[in-house]
Amino acid sequence: MIELRAVSKRFDGKRSVTALDGVDLSIAKGEMVSIVGPSGSGKSTLLNLIGGLDHPSSGDLLIDGASLVHVSDDELTRVRRDKIGFIFQFFNLLPTLSCLENVSLPLHLRGWNRKQINERARELLDLVQLGKRLEHLPEELSGGERQRVAIARALSVYPPILLADEPTGNLDSQTGAEILRLIRDLQTRLNATILIVTHDMGVAESCRRTIRLRDGRIVEDIRREDIRREDIRR
Amino acid sequence: MSKITLALLLSSLGWAQDARQIVGEVQSRAKASSQRYEGWLKVVDGRDRVTEKRWVYERIGSAGDSKVVLRFTAPAEVKGVALLIVNHPDRASDQWMWTPALQRDRRIAFQDRSTRFFGTDFSFEDLEERDVSQYDYRVLGEENVDGAACWKIESAPKKTKSSQYSRSLLWVDKARYVFVRIEAYRDSKLVRRIRYSDYEQVQKIWTPMSMEVEDTARKSRTILRTEKLEYNVPVKEEAFTLQALRRDS
Amino acid sequence: MMLLKLLTWPYVRKHKLRTCLTIAGIALGVVIFVGMRTANDSVLYGFQQTVDRIAGKAQLQVTSSEAGFPEEILEKVQSAVEVDVAVPVIEATAATGLAGQGNLLILGVDMTGDRSLREYDLEEGEQSVIDDPLVFLAQPDSIMVSRDFAVRNGLTTGGKLALDTMDGPKQFTVRGVMKPGGLASAFGGNLAIMDIYATQKVFGRGRMFDRIDISLKLEVSVERGKAALEKILGPGLQVDPPSSRGKQFESISRLFSIGASLNSLFALMIGLFIIYNTFSIAVAQRRSEIGILRSLGASRGQIRGLFVLESAVLGLIGSLVGVVFGLLLARGMAGYLSNFLGEVYGVAQKTESVAADPRLLLFAVLTGILTSIVAAWIPARDASQVDPVKALHKGGYEMFSERENRLRRMLALAFGAAALALLFSGGTAGPRLYGGYLCVLAAAVLLTPSLVRRVVALLRPAMKWLLPVEGSLAADSLVQSPRRTSATVAAVMLAVALVVGLGGVANASYSSIHDWMTAALNPDLFVGSSESLTDRSFRFPASMGEEIRRMEGVEDVQIVRTTRVLYDGAPVMLVATSLESLARRIHPKVVAGDPSTMYRLAGEGKGVIVADNLALLHRLKLGDMLELPTPTGMLRLPVIGITIDYSDQQGAFLLDRTLVVRYWKDDTANLFRVYLQKGVTPAEGKRRILERFGGQRRLFVMTNEQVRTYIMKVTDQWFGLTYMQIFVAVLVAVLGIVNSLTVSITDRRRELGVLQAVGALRRQVRQAIWMEAAGIGLVSIILGLALGGVILFYYLGIIREDLAGLRLEYQYPFNIALLLIPTMLGAALVSSIAPAESAVRASLVEALEYE
Repeated sequence: MIELRAVSKRFDGKRSVTALDGVDLSIAKGEMVSIVGPSGSGKSTLLNLIGGLDHPSSGDLLIDGASLVHVSDDELTRVRRDKIGFIFQFFNLLPTLSCLENVSLPLHLRGWNRKQINERARELLDLVQLGKRLEHLPEELSGGERQRVAIARALSVYPPILLADEPTGNLDSQTGAEILRLIRDLQTRLNATILIVTHDMGVAESCRRTIRLRDGRIVEDIRREDIRREDIRR
Repeated sequence: MSKITLALLLSSLGWAQDARQIVGEVQSRAKASSQRYEGWLKVVDGRDRVTEKRWVYERIGSAGDSKVVLRFTAPAEVKGVALLIVNHPDRASDQWMWTPALQRDRRIAFQDRSTRFFGTDFSFEDLEERDVSQYDYRVLGEENVDGAACWKIESAPKKTKSSQYSRSLLWVDKARYVFVRIEAYRDSKLVRRIRYSDYEQVQKIWTPMSMEVEDTARKSRTILRTEKLEYNVPVKEEAFTLQALRRDS
Repeated sequence: MMLLKLLTWPYVRKHKLRTCLTIAGIALGVVIFVGMRTANDSVLYGFQQTVDRIAGKAQLQVTSSEAGFPEEILEKVQSAVEVDVAVPVIEATAATGLAGQGNLLILGVDMTGDRSLREYDLEEGEQSVIDDPLVFLAQPDSIMVSRDFAVRNGLTTGGKLALDTMDGPKQFTVRGVMKPGGLASAFGGNLAIMDIYATQKVFGRGRMFDRIDISLKLEVSVERGKAALEKILGPGLQVDPPSSRGKQFESISRLFSIGASLNSLFALMIGLFIIYNTFSIAVAQRRSEIGILRSLGASRGQIRGLFVLESAVLGLIGSLVGVVFGLLLARGMAGYLSNFLGEVYGVAQKTESVAADPRLLLFAVLTGILTSIVAAWIPARDASQVDPVKALHKGGYEMFSERENRLRRMLALAFGAAALALLFSGGTAGPRLYGGYLCVLAAAVLLTPSLVRRVVALLRPAMKWLLPVEGSLAADSLVQSPRRTSATVAAVMLAVALVVGLGGVANASYSSIHDWMTAALNPDLFVGSSESLTDRSFRFPASMGEEIRRMEGVEDVQIVRTTRVLYDGAPVMLVATSLESLARRIHPKVVAGDPSTMYRLAGEGKGVIVADNLALLHRLKLGDMLELPTPTGMLRLPVIGITIDYSDQQGAFLLDRTLVVRYWKDDTANLFRVYLQKGVTPAEGKRRILERFGGQRRLFVMTNEQVRTYIMKVTDQWFGLTYMQIFVAVLVAVLGIVNSLTVSITDRRRELGVLQAVGALRRQVRQAIWMEAAGIGLVSIILGLALGGVILFYYLGIIREDLAGLRLEYQYPFNIALLLIPTMLGAALVSSIAPAESAVRASLVEALEYE
């Protein structure tokens, strides 16, 4: 599903920084992978590249068999909108839009008709158990609820890939666990490929696969075949 | 006070009456009821460039109570331009000018008398005749000018504002009672010098046929030669009016 | 100062575009102020310079307004004991017929005496022309020109120069070339000297002089000389020092001056909002920085000082930029103004250089700085009140507090009430109109935030319907940042209102002028002495009118003499013709008086009919005694009628021509109104008149159609300035919207990033920003069109009661409003292009990173 071949990313500034250095990585459909590493190890850069928010400096990157390198910004956006959903640490909900509107946003952008949008958005909000807070504004919700709205928004077109950048980083551990459970639940129900960037080892360990980055290189690629449900529920 | 100044003072007092009589005699000897001549005017400027004009001069009356008509005859561009000058015994003259091309006359304003008369070294004032009574005179002494014995007389206008000159020096030929030379001063500066020459007796009147005016500041000279001069010609009073000026042009 | 360097400079460097736009905001106001005022001053200065150079040593001048006076007056003046030299002068302008040389100012002087007052410094070797003016005087084709003019046109002494004269084009002979400087530099060197009597003939002036220049005897003071001469000459003639001629001119240019001030006020207010906007945003963006400073021990005063200082520096830079461009603008404007005044008022002046008054420039700079400081005051205060603890929290700090909103509304209400109270106070035009105008502006500006919220709320559904996501995002962005939005809206609203106001005035003027032309300008042909109806340099003898009347195919002729006379200190147009005949032909709108008798009575010389604008400006009522100075004494006549008459912006009197002949001793005419018999076409009539007189006289025959076109052209020139202001308004709109959007995009980088992250295409992001721009444009247009309606009311009032006395009907300029909607929306969209591009080009990664 996701294929990285010798992907490097350098930031050219006053000091040239190599954020990723020849990363090879392959992630299969339906996998749930956590990415860990200290600050500056290249976690977010990796996620941004996979999400098509940025271009690699070298190497090739394929999503569903299609290369993301050497394509126009608009094509990149199309890949993004069809294949990828984002979940951010700070939710990034539009403060002036209601829950329903926030979730509808990607669908509107895709030019769906109103009826379809409305149905899908309600469905998604039901899925994240916010079916009763459709008209609330983000500021009227708790952190966990906001993240759930954000997840619903990320799922709006049922993308095959879900990218989460510290999804629990801004939540208390109780809520964080709930969100993680939700994500895991979605993975199984939708058979989505999920990448989670996290600092939280608990979160990381709840995934079957964990990739550890340091100084822009993969230093560890751990696969766990048996994760106990209790671990996740913790 | 020095003796010299005292002497000068005394002498001038003694001759005061005489001076006035001398100038009066000059005027009365030149008296004629009318006059006519053709003038030939030559102006030589500071750079020796020469311009010439000709006119016909007619006068009626005399001694500050006269009228003059002066008609330009040359050069061609000014032919027909005429001046009417009406002299008054007690005040400055009135002057009008007629320009045929415009068919109209213009008054030449009083305050402009010190300007030069059409590029000559005469000022308009120099062309006026003035009555003796408008000036104070005193004899300063006797001098020989061009071989002729002369009185040297100083004249000053009684009303200082009526003239551009503050005083003049007149040299009068003792034998013929004519002016030989005049020097006109503004403050203490010599402004004009007039020399009369080529005296001829016309109808018993000694008349200078040549007159040279020198503008000392500009270093230019104007020579006026009179030709075909006649006195007491039959002219009519009506010819010396603005109407006549217009009609005759 | 250190703070400024440490904190402001990096910020400014980071926001170069915004800083530039802010500086432009202040600069614009200063440009308009400096430009218009300096242009005005320059023209005035040019006029005064021409007057001074021509006046020579003259200490006093005798004039009878523009009308001139009989030659006899000269002797009276010369006879005065106080007078040393008095010489007559005629001033006239004539077309040279040389390409690109425009008019030549011809000074008719009496060469025999004139040198006592003026120095004629001729080229080497030519001085004799002056010393011996005999040839110059004897030949009426003599002319002296300045070296400038001679060189420009390849003329030398003895050369020929063609000029239009009363008898058609005529060759003149250059008999002298004047050295530059002094007299020869007057009127930009386009000066020629002629003999005064030749000038009379060439320009058909009869035996009249325009002026007598006087130098007094040494011991006589100017005041004493003036008093003595006034006593000798009576009230019909004015005796004034040359310097006072500028005063009359000032009364003409006052219109421009006040217009310029009103408009620069507008521009400065617009600049004020742009600066306010920028600072509000800067404070918001630098909130955390301020918080850190505060926690490091900076006092509130220091924080406020920092921002005020920043604004002062920006204001200074903006003002200086404004001064530079203002002077450039003045250069262009001065030429325009100068031409206009020359053509319409026949004022002989040439603006050679821009005369910048250092005090004016200093004032402009200080005003610019002050405006900037005032604009930054509230944001600076907000900055000083930043709570160091809360500074790092993200939240709705952009919102107005309810208290603030209430305060605004109360103030707005107070200003509104004040405007109403002033309106009904019945005071003079000053407080009632100018004060009311300012109050209305203040109220409108204070109400803007509340109105913006309401209008956007109304617009949101429509925007959402149009483009669901982009529309609602744009609308929300507008509501979300009331400060940013309302400041921009206020600026654009003012611009729109200005255009509507000025456009309304233009509209109303055009329609009134049109009505007047239909009622009063109905002769088939106009026979005038120049192409422009206003030129009075050339004149006809009245007998020519009689000759035209006797021509075949001519039914009636009205002999018209127009001139300017001084009334109540203003140069007012006097129109004299046979009123009995006029009454049969024209049917003007009568404001007061009995239309059936007033023309008959006025025709008998028993009264005067005045134009409504004159009546309004000088508060004349029916039955008032009018005192007109004439060369033969005061002419006293009752006002027996007031009619709508746009003959002149300064107002006009209608008199019977017999009175002009009697009191002014002036039997000339400068216009014949010719009515043709039925069946004779205007073209045929024109041909016949040209055939009859064309060979022997300089004359221009214009058909009714041509005259109307000419008047419309003059009117267009008047409103040329208005159009320039519309351009400025659009510029302001663009500036304000660009600024606002740039800021909006910076503020919403994250939001826009999210939008793209969740799948928005570039096109969609662009559209959202376009929608936002369109939203600002639309709200501004709606509010501006409303405010413009009120402004127009005040403008018409000011014009009616203070400036021109024109009773213009209130009529909302729907045509201009309709034109404005696409223009301003287009401008809004154009101004959103660059910000939108910068938004879609921004790095997504950076946008999504937290702070």
